Amino acid sequence: MRNAYLTYAARRIAQAVAVVLLAYVFTFVVVSILPGDPVSTILHDPQNGFTDEEIREIIAAQGLDQPIAVQLWTALSHFVTGNLGLSMRSGRPVATLLAEVLPSTLILASAGFAVALLLAAVIAYGTQFLPARFGQGLLRGFPSLFLSVPNFVIGLVLIHAFGFQLGLFRVIEPNSFWATLFAALALGIPISAQIAEVLIANLDHEARQEYAAVARSRGLGQVGLFVKHLLKPSSLPVVTVIALTIGELLGGSLITETVFGRTGVGSLVQRSVTTQDLPVLQTVVSLAAVVFVGVNLLADLVYPLLDPRVTLVGSGRSRQAGAEDPATQTTEAVTA
Amino acid sequence: MSLAVPPSAGRTPLLRAGCLPAAALRGLSALRLPASVVLSLAIVALVIGWSLAPGLFTGQDPVIGVPADKLLAPSLAHWFGTDHLGRDLYARVVYGTASSVTSALIAVTIGVVAGGTVGLLAGFFGGWVDTVIARLVDVLLAIPNFLLAVIVVTALGFDTLNVAIATGVSAVAVFARVMRAEAIKTRQATFVEASFLLGGSRWHILTRHVLPNASRSALPLAVLQFGLSILVIASLAFLGYGDPPPASDWGLLISIGKDYLKWPWLVYAPAFVTITTVLSVNRISRWLRRID
Repeated sequence: MRNAYLTYAARRIAQAVAVVLLAYVFTFVVVSILPGDPVSTILHDPQNGFTDEEIREIIAAQGLDQPIAVQLWTALSHFVTGNLGLSMRSGRPVATLLAEVLPSTLILASAGFAVALLLAAVIAYGTQFLPARFGQGLLRGFPSLFLSVPNFVIGLVLIHAFGFQLGLFRVIEPNSFWATLFAALALGIPISAQIAEVLIANLDHEARQEYAAVARSRGLGQVGLFVKHLLKPSSLPVVTVIALTIGELLGGSLITETVFGRTGVGSLVQRSVTTQDLPVLQTVVSLAAVVFVGVNLLADLVYPLLDPRVTLVGSGRSRQAGAEDPATQTTEAVTA
Repeated sequence: MSLAVPPSAGRTPLLRAGCLPAAALRGLSALRLPASVVLSLAIVALVIGWSLAPGLFTGQDPVIGVPADKLLAPSLAHWFGTDHLGRDLYARVVYGTASSVTSALIAVTIGVVAGGTVGLLAGFFGGWVDTVIARLVDVLLAIPNFLLAVIVVTALGFDTLNVAIATGVSAVAVFARVMRAEAIKTRQATFVEASFLLGGSRWHILTRHVLPNASRSALPLAVLQFGLSILVIASLAFLGYGDPPPASDWGLLISIGKDYLKWPWLVYAPAFVTITTVLSVNRISRWLRRID
């Protein structure tokens, strides 16, 4: 078991590193091979007033006259050694730009994540124990409703209702407590839906098991049953889903920051897209891939330790558990 | 004798009013459709109607407004109210439907065709083909969906078609993964083995047995992705990566409306249409998965 786990872990780590490097290459290739050429568009923009001579100089200085493969190699080796390059627009190091905006996004993302988890838990709890006449069916509809609402609409509704009508926060102070809380709500609500869907399915599954009936017959109350027995086995598979939602958290913060007027990684991306600042975009996308792959790697590594039913068989790539166990389905979704 | 009249008799003349709808309704009831699915289908049909023939649904002009009538609240004359240039918002939503829906269709088509083909080949042939494709899909999955779409649209340039392509590219991995899993499952089925032993060529087995079986489960996914694509495209349009005004994509309408939050219907009306459409599409997808 010990050895099998180590082999499995080593394999997953190697895989993750390869995926991150390939993601960097992929982004680079997309940006350089697709028909549009932002660099020459910027340079030839008459507003910038470069002469042909100057344009040639700039291109040579940036190494843009080299073949794509050479450029890619230079960029990739810089990325691996932690040199993120310079912003094409401002000329400042991308690392500095990112460091300036990262704290704000981290606050928003973690608050949004907390909102998502809390909301998912509340909804899932409600679907188990709310009597049908008090709207259990309605509660079960919440996840699919949340998944159908664009998060910028949630943001705008919150701003309109709580900012304008109730005056809880002012839009021009995006970093105040209330503004941050509502931004986190806008970010967290669609993500809570995905977690809640899996959690509800698992709770339904566990509640039908015999041990739940036994616990009930021994006189355990609803809250006790939920906390002591159902929650743990149901939330294990959720670990994987949570890891998968990290990507949405990153993408969602882009829009949420725009809606709420916050400065953060999202607004940096938005600005870089409109000015076609490729080094910044390349870095943000690659780092997003690093975070996403890293979190999923962590989930995959922790999972076999948390859930003794998951056994690592043979090469370590295939994992087996009970055929009907939702755990396998969700973990397989990551490795497949 | 009146007691003998079955309770449904009162409704029959209504059904007979139009022969075609009556037949369609009977067909629907034969399928035993839940009411919510019927409603969803009706909404999707309406949206398709809007995109095919917007002129049939509104007499107002979506581009040229009446400045005197600007920022009117919703009323009988202007169902969704009017915007800051006095244009009828309902007309703008209706005329913006074609581009919103077509983009989502293009995105799903790209996802299904590219992702489906790649996944099918990987699952069917296995070996190194599978290894290479599986790793590529991993890479696509590693980049958050929305960021992937953003970077593709940045490289291609800002317009609605490119937004659709970018959304499609970000959906490729999902379809590749599902089709691969389905192809692997089908390849091991007994009837495929039988067909192979009877002398069926690989191409024959791929197109006649594996593809039809594998694509069954891709249908609900494609429908679900259609709804998701509407949302992603609306988000990209909201950020201003699509066609500029006077185009009236749903996301763009919401984005314009956010600067006029004192007149909230400018946000709520297009948002309501978007949400209702996506909800209906998702409901249909769930239903398709259940009857499968």
